[in-house]
Amino acid sequence: MKLNSFIVVLLLVATIATTSCSNRKVTRVDPSEQIDLSGSWNNTDSRMVSDQLINQILGEKWLTDHVTAKGKKPVVIVGMVVNKSHEHIEAETFVKDLERACLLSTKIGLVQSGKLREELRAEKADQQSNASQSTMKKFGLEHGADYILQGSINSIVDAYKKRKAVTYQVNLELTNLESNEIVWIGDKKISKYIKN
Amino acid sequence: MAFASFAQTQTSLEPDQNPNYLQSQNRYMMMKDSLIASENTTPQQTYKAYDWYQAKLDNRAARRETRREIRLANAYNYNNYYSPYNYGYNNFGYNNFGFNNFGYNNWWSMRPLIGYRSGNWNFCY
Repeated sequence: MKLNSFIVVLLLVATIATTSCSNRKVTRVDPSEQIDLSGSWNNTDSRMVSDQLINQILGEKWLTDHVTAKGKKPVVIVGMVVNKSHEHIEAETFVKDLERACLLSTKIGLVQSGKLREELRAEKADQQSNASQSTMKKFGLEHGADYILQGSINSIVDAYKKRKAVTYQVNLELTNLESNEIVWIGDKKISKYIKN
Repeated sequence: MAFASFAQTQTSLEPDQNPNYLQSQNRYMMMKDSLIASENTTPQQTYKAYDWYQAKLDNRAARRETRREIRLANAYNYNNYYSPYNYGYNNFGYNNFGFNNFGYNNWWSMRPLIGYRSGNWNFCY
């Protein structure tokens, strides 16, 4: 009797041990759901930054000033966003949200920049000797940007024993390419308190 | 010469076309092949995100591998006079500070380090 109960317990333990080893379960979640695991920069932070900056860039005075002065919507090129924080943060996640919001609003025009622009020009160069004359795109007809969007990501970390306070500050600024005048600065601060 | 070959005779400009467009055109004609070589591909610019659990598993695997290698090396160099693991000499019973005193009523220390429990070993001395 005792031996039987011992075998049953042993089997139960063995079952739990074997099943717990392969216990990985994956579920799809809504990207807007707030999930904080380690306290590091995550999807929620990126979304908060983009929401805030979209509201700021589309709702401030520089836009109406430009349209009043020039009579057309401003054209913006995205420059460099420097990550000076203590973590790996990809600015492209919120900058793309920002670009998309600008395009959807139809108030701001965007031109391509960086490596993607290099590729566009190389493709255009390739067309000069390979494409038919009627479909070949010409050099010298790109839209020149009126403003450049640049920025930085900073962080401040204060940790003691098992507690940590982190503040992220994302700054984006828009500068008039002709006059070097800064026409807009957007910022978003996110503070976190992490207790282990 | 190369530039001159690309530099076409400047035809009439389109309305609003940049009159210096040939400078850019010639520049990109020189390097277009390398730039468009990556078209229709997915360059990987990935990074390794820190995963606490995965790091723990990796560390555990590394520790096991290290221990296994040490066991193998010890077994291989068990009676090897020139082995670096024996520090150049097998000091059987002499100046060994109490360690590995082979031959002095310490049969246990003469067992091989792997295969002992399974009996899959040959005693060679």
